[in-house]
This record gives sequence, structure tokens and C-alpha cells, in this order.
Amino acid sequence: MGKRDEPGDLIQGTLEMLVLKALARGPLHGYGVAEWIEQTSQQALKVEEGALYPALHRLELRGLLKAEWGASENNRRAKFYRVTAEGRKRLEAESQRWARLSAAVGFVMQAS
Amino acid sequence: MREGWHEFLLRTKALLRRRRLHREMAEELAFHQEMLRARYAREGMRETEMETEVRRRFGNAARWQERLRELWQLRWIENFLRDVRFAMRLLMKSPGFTAVALLTLALGVGANTTVFSMINGLLLRPLPVPESDRLAVVGITGHGPQTAYSFPEPLFRGLERRHDVFSTVFAFSHADLQVLARDGNEKVVGQFVSGGFFPALETAPLLGRTLTEADDRRGGNPAGFGAVISEDFWRNWFGKDPAVVGRKLTIDQAVFTVVGVMPERFVGADPLDRPSVWIPLATEPILNGQRNMTDSGIHGWWLRVMGRMGPGIRLEQANAAVAAATAAVVDENAGDPEWAAAQLKQHLEFTVERGSAGFTYLRLQFRKPLVAVFAMCCGILLLACLNLTSLLMARGAARERELATRLAVGASRGRLTQQLLTESLLIAAGGTTLGLAAAPQLSHALGAMLLSGPRESHLDSSLDVRVFAFAALIAVTATLVIGLAPALRATSRELNEQIKSGQHAVRQQERHRWLPQILMSVEVALALVLVVGAGLLASSLVRLYRSGAGFDPRGVENIGFSMDKAGLSHEQLMEFYQEAGAGLRQAPRVTAVSFARVVPMTGLTWDNDMFAAGQHPGTDVHVNSVSPGYFVAMRIPVLEGRDFRWNETAAEGMKIVLNEKAARALFPKGSAMGRTVNVNEGRKKAPIPCEVIGIVGDAKYEDLRSDPPPTGYMAMTQESTDQYSPSFNAVVRTGGDAGSVGSAARRLARQLAPGVPAPVMTSMTTIIDDSLSAERMMAMLSVFFAACALLVTAIGLYGTLAYATARRTSEIGIRMALGAQRAQVVGLVCGQNALVAVLGTVAGLMAALLASKALSSFLYGTGTRDPWVLAGSIAALAIIASAASLLPALRASRISPMMAIRCD
Repeated sequence: MGKRDEPGDLIQGTLEMLVLKALARGPLHGYGVAEWIEQTSQQALKVEEGALYPALHRLELRGLLKAEWGASENNRRAKFYRVTAEGRKRLEAESQRWARLSAAVGFVMQAS
Repeated sequence: MREGWHEFLLRTKALLRRRRLHREMAEELAFHQEMLRARYAREGMRETEMETEVRRRFGNAARWQERLRELWQLRWIENFLRDVRFAMRLLMKSPGFTAVALLTLALGVGANTTVFSMINGLLLRPLPVPESDRLAVVGITGHGPQTAYSFPEPLFRGLERRHDVFSTVFAFSHADLQVLARDGNEKVVGQFVSGGFFPALETAPLLGRTLTEADDRRGGNPAGFGAVISEDFWRNWFGKDPAVVGRKLTIDQAVFTVVGVMPERFVGADPLDRPSVWIPLATEPILNGQRNMTDSGIHGWWLRVMGRMGPGIRLEQANAAVAAATAAVVDENAGDPEWAAAQLKQHLEFTVERGSAGFTYLRLQFRKPLVAVFAMCCGILLLACLNLTSLLMARGAARERELATRLAVGASRGRLTQQLLTESLLIAAGGTTLGLAAAPQLSHALGAMLLSGPRESHLDSSLDVRVFAFAALIAVTATLVIGLAPALRATSRELNEQIKSGQHAVRQQERHRWLPQILMSVEVALALVLVVGAGLLASSLVRLYRSGAGFDPRGVENIGFSMDKAGLSHEQLMEFYQEAGAGLRQAPRVTAVSFARVVPMTGLTWDNDMFAAGQHPGTDVHVNSVSPGYFVAMRIPVLEGRDFRWNETAAEGMKIVLNEKAARALFPKGSAMGRTVNVNEGRKKAPIPCEVIGIVGDAKYEDLRSDPPPTGYMAMTQESTDQYSPSFNAVVRTGGDAGSVGSAARRLARQLAPGVPAPVMTSMTTIIDDSLSAERMMAMLSVFFAACALLVTAIGLYGTLAYATARRTSEIGIRMALGAQRAQVVGLVCGQNALVAVLGTVAGLMAALLASKALSSFLYGTGTRDPWVLAGSIAALAIIASAASLLPALRASRISPMMAIRCD
């Protein structure tokens, strides 16, 4: 497995959480998800395609996302992902976990 | 859990729509690239730069598309499918092996399924009625050597009234009815049933109602006699008239009213009898007139008795209760205290058996032969499996380098085993399918052979869930038996050692390869057992046919005239038969015509106690009532005295003709001619004195198997018609076409007795063949199986030796280079199989001697250790084994040493 296939700066679980978050606002295609994460993080997070699509498909397989084919903004056929009820629950749980984790890391790092 | 399930569902869906999934993946990625390009274009990148950038970002698209695909795969199914494809390719590459494998297995599975479906139809399948497991069959022990399943009417009525552990006790009996149609009477299969029959079987009628206790009374329901008809009869006789209830049916000259129609699936309680009409048991005296069974009380044993057990009652409880009730039922109902006391003293006792499959007499007759045949089938299946195991093992040996290499580069043993098992699974599945496809036709043919007889029987041997489950079980077992040993062996660690030690040179391991040899020895042993069994059964059948019947059956036709219900007086009847006889004699090429009450070899018997003056106790003598000319027509030699005459009547004193055995038994000293024999016809009647007017040769009576019994022939003209049903069979000897005799008989019957059902003709040879149907079936099947076993064994011996020899090519080459002669090489190769054959024969012989004991009850005039059969079987196997070994040996002897060594 080459280095390019590694999920960049993001560990796998985190990427999945970000994908769910990106889709929580409404259906998007894969490119849209990557773009949203990059823009929202102000280019701090780069989403590699080699990690993005496996993550999307894994979530779809687990029933957290549902995929549908539709027309994109430039009128091309694209695969749109939508969060299912199950997915929203997971996002909720993940974001709480993340909040706890980052707070904990913050405490540790601020300790003198 | 839920996510896992979701994954499984989606993956299964993906498996079915793989192409679409892959296309969509590609499309999704292409879209992404498209969007990227658009973005780069917006950012003002140049065309060439753009392409490099996209390619750099995506890397090898095919590779991570592969990753996506893997995500969607159901690993084990994909693996399995890959294995299947691989195994298919391998099997296609050796079509000879595949064909042999499929055919031998199809033979084994087909034979097993066929016989199992018959056993299923005859013994296992439950009656199609609600809660059939609550049904029970009532039998009697202590009345005869085996459990009897016939009851006299008074004892049944006693049980019916008492019922206690049963909610209902019911009885039924087969009845050949004559139903009046527009043009004369027609024979219809019917059943007498007691009032509890329909309530106990709990099946709703299609139309109208069923018979109840109110119908089962002498004189019938106030509204007349009721009859229930089958859907089939309703269709054929009444054209599905919806207003059939209330229509009249004239049965044996009594008028019945149709009260209901039963649906097609309802067959009653005898799964092989398919009655068209059910009538109340109490009407039997009306239909059968003076000679009815009901009025013969405890001397008429004709009813099958079953019951539906009450709720919560177990079979053992029912059995105990019924056994305990025996004495009371017999005492209260026999109507003959002397008889009752005598029977109870002999420990007469009622018993209860499982009755979910109903009751049929054929079950008693065919259970043992079918089980024996089933054992043979299992033998042939095991043989086929062993054979395939050996062949696969030999093939595995040829593939061992490939497997060892794969093991060495990290394939897991489980995965390789799985792959090898897939191959045997394919063979097993293919063989089972082939066998299953052939099973319905085979069991139909077998059923026709087994159940061809005077009375039509309907054995439903169709494939049902039970048969399919059985076939599936066979397939799985076969897969494991065939594949497991070779697979485990081929993937064992030993192999690794083997590649290390280099290959084709002489190797130590060869010595340890005893497993194939043992397998082949077992196969040879099994084949020998089958061949010995076939030899015993076939030679027994030949002996049976050769033993002769005491008369000449060839060219004899029997024509049954159903005159018993024509209502003729004795004189009118005799006139009819005399005229019919004269008419039949006019038919072309007929040489002799006579009549007889009992057609020999049909299994029917009629016997009486007879004694000479002063003799006590008397002798049990079989009786037949015949017309003049019987001995000529049957070619039974008249040794002394004379035949009967047409003008002899009862008034001028009864006459009797004895066979030699009866003459010797009744008159041990001196000639029997002219002396008096007293015939006891019943306990309440005075013995009838008869004058012996002739002595004839011994002839068999019931069947070909039993020795000729002492037999007395009475004159048909002297028979008292109030005692027996005066229906006789014409015995016609013809030198030619049976068809012309048959048409002559039908014409005569129409002329002389219009309104009587058309006469039925059967040839004597057919009757004999039918009487031996079980023996014939067993002999034919066992010979067929034995031939197959020999062939399969030959293939196995040849195949394994050929593989083994091919692998020893270089060894043989070296031996020859060092000066071994061709003959020595032949000996070397043959020696391997000779050892197998000798071991197998010894083991097989011991097994055969043990196993053939089970056959002893089927054998006639031969022991289970018939030396000719044993010697013949061994010779047959020896020939097969030598033939199978010689070919590879000769091929080995033609090996050119130079070539052999060089190619290594």
C-alpha cells in the first residue's frame, strides 16, 4: 500500500465523522463532500480521494448513508449521498465523543 | 448487529448486480475527476498540467477502484465462486474422470433415491389427514406365528364400543363391487368402512356429508343405505354433477344413496388402495348374501382395525390398555365361550402400533425385500464414493507439487482444503442431480414391477420433502466422504517434505501410502459382497423357476368370470359354465378347457381338515374345486383312477381326487383308490364322506416357493352353493394367440350372462411371475448392482494404478536401465493391485458370509455358503482385477528407460 492511499492527516474514524457532518446539511456528491470539508476547515484539512470514497462506501454499506443518483449543479449524473436516521444518531454520538476527546487533549496540553 | 445485517444485504445485492456496481463506481470516480478538472480550469491551469495534476492526485485509479470493490464483496461467496470456476476448469480438463465420477455417483444416488422413495411411499409417508400421528393400528398376537392384522366383526364391534383410550376405533375392508351402469355392471374398487372411519380420519367432504355411526347399522339409516364416493368417481361416473348428493347407485343389486364426495387427496386408511366408493360395514351381509363375512362371526377374519388415540394418550399407554382389555372383549363378543377360552389360553392379545402411515398388507410383504434392496443401494453408493475417493487421492498426488508450492507461498491449509472440497462438492452435486432426475422414472418402473398383481395398487413414490432431504443428505455425506480424506492428505505437511526431497526418485514415503491401498481393498471387499449377494439371489430364483410347479404353466390362460353376484341357482350356474367351456373350446388353437375355483400360484388357499376312517387327528389338506378336464388342461398326470364327469351331482355321493401326497398322508398303507375320506367343513357340521376316485401328481398350490401340499380336488358339479361363492375361473390351454381366447371369452360372457362385468384374463406365466415379484425384483436389481460394482471397481483399480504408475515412470526407467526385464516390470506394477485384490477378497469373503445370513430368508433351495456362488464371485473379481491391472502394467513395461530418466 503506497503512501498516497493513506488517509492523509485524518485518521479513519475522524474522516467518517467529518463526512457525516458534511452530509448532515443535505445531500452531496463525493466531490462536494471533499470540497466542503476543505473549505470549512479553511484548507487545513485535505481529503484524499483514495480515502474519501472507501469511507463513503463503508458508511453506505453500514446503512448510515443512502446513495442516490441525481443531477449535479453542472447537470451531470452524479451519486448523491444522504444521511439516514441511523447516520444522524451516529453523528450525534461521534461529535459528543469528539468534543470530550478534544477537551481532554486541550486540558492535557494546557497543563503547565 | 443491525449494521452487520445491512452490510450483508447490500453485499448480496451487489453480488447479483456486480456489473452495474462496477460501472457506477467508475462513473462516480469519473465525475469526481471531471469536477477537479473544472476546478483546475477555473484556477487557470493549462490543459497538460491539469492532466498531470489529476493523475498525480488519483494515482492508479484501477487500484483503488479495486479497493472499493473489495469493500462490497462477500468474501466467502466470492471465494466459493472462484473455487467453483477453478474446479469446473479442472474437471473439464479431464472429461474421462469427470464422466466416470458423475455416472458412478448418479448410479449410487439414483438407486438410493429410487428405493428410498418407494420405502417412503410404502412405509413412511403419513396419511394426508389431520394429526395423523394420533392414528394407531390394532393387531393381534397369539393368533398364528406373527402379529395378525385381521379382525372378525364381533371382536371389532367389541373394541369399537369399548374404545376407552381411543376417541374412535374404526375398521375397513377392501371390497370389489359391481356397480350398475347403463350397459351392465362394472367392477369398482370399494371399501366397507365402519361408522367411526370418517370421523377418525377427520377429513371434510367436498360435497354432502361423510358416513357416520347412524349409517353403520343393519338395514341402514332410515333414509336407506348411504355411500360416499371419491372425487375421481364423481368425475367419471357423474360428470362432476353438483347435485350428485341424493343420486342412487345400484351396488351388487342393492340401492345406495350418494351422501357425499371426498376430495382427491383423501385416500382412506390404506395408502395403496384407492377406493372409489365407501359403504357402511353393516351393509356387507346384504352385498355378499349368504356367504357374508359378518355372519361368519369369529370365523371370518377380514377387517383391518385402526383407532384415533384420545388426547394426551401415548402409544405405549394405548397398547397396555388394549392388551388389558383383550380378555373382556373376547369373552363378551365372541359368542362362542369354548372358542374364546381356547384363544385366551393361547395368549391371544390385542396390540397397538404406530398408524400415522395407515395400514396396508403390502407393507408386511415388501418391507424386508425393500430394506434388503436399500442395503444393496447403500453398498453401491459407498462403493461409488470410495472409488471416487481413491481416484481423487491419486489425482491429488499428481497435483501435489502445485499444492505444496501454494502452501509454501502462504496459502492457508483451510483455504486449500476448501478449494479441494469444492471439487468434490461439484461432483457430488452433479451426481445427485443426475440421480435425482432419473429417480421418478426408476421408482415408477420398480413399483410397476413390484406391485403388478391381480389387485391394482397405487404406490405413490413421488418425490416429496422427505426424499429431497434424503438426497441432500446423501450429497453432503458424499462430498465429505469423497473429498475430505484426499483434501486433508494433499494439504498435509508431509508434502512439504516431499518437494524438498526432490520428486520422481524412489522415495521412502511411498511405503507409507497405505491409505489408498486400504480404500481400494475395502472397495474390492464391498464389490465381492454385492456380487456374492447377487449370485445367491439369482441362483435361488433360477432354482425356483426350475423347481417346476407340478403342472405346465406355459400356454395356460385363466379367465375369471364374476358370476358370484349374478344370482343364479346351482343348476343354472353349471349350465353357464358348461356352455362357456364349450364355447371357449371353439376358439382357434384351444386344446383344453376346464374350470377351477382357486387359481394356483395366486397366494390364495382353501384348506380343510380331512381324515380317513379311524384317523385322529386328521390331516390338513388343501382343497380346490375343479371341473372335468382340469388335469388335462393343467397337464397334471392322472396316476390312478379317473377324472370327474359333468353329470356327477351331489346326490350320487361325493367324489374326491387326491394328489400323491394327500393319498400317502391319509392312507399310509395300501392304495387310496375307492376308499373314503371324511372332510370336516366346520366345527358345527358333520364330516362329509367322499370317495377317492383318482390319484394325480403333486402340484404346487399357493406359490412356487412352498412344496406341493397334500391336495384334494372336489368336483365343481357337486359343490354345495350355499357354502361358497360359486365363481370359477376358466383354465384354457391354448397353442397360440391369447388374444383370440380373450375376445372369445368376452363374447361368450356377453351372450350367456349379460350384465356381468367383462371377464378378466391372465396367463399362468404372468401369475407365476407376479407371485415372485419380490424375488424377481431383488434378483434383477442385485445382478444389476453387482455388474455396476464390478465395473466401478475395475475403473477404480485401473485409475489408481494408472496414476501411481505414471508417477513412478522415472523409477521404472532406472530399474530398466539397470537391467530389469519387461516381465519384472509388469510383475512390479501388477503386484500392487494383486495385494489389494487379495486383501479385499479375504475381507469381502468374510463380510459376505456374515451379510448373506440376512438374505437366507429370501433364498430358495440354497444355503448362504453356496460354494459355486462364492467361487464364481471370486473368479469374476479376479478377472476384473487382472484386466484392470494389466493395462497400466503393459504400458509401464513399454517405458523407454532413456526417455524416462531424461524427462526428470
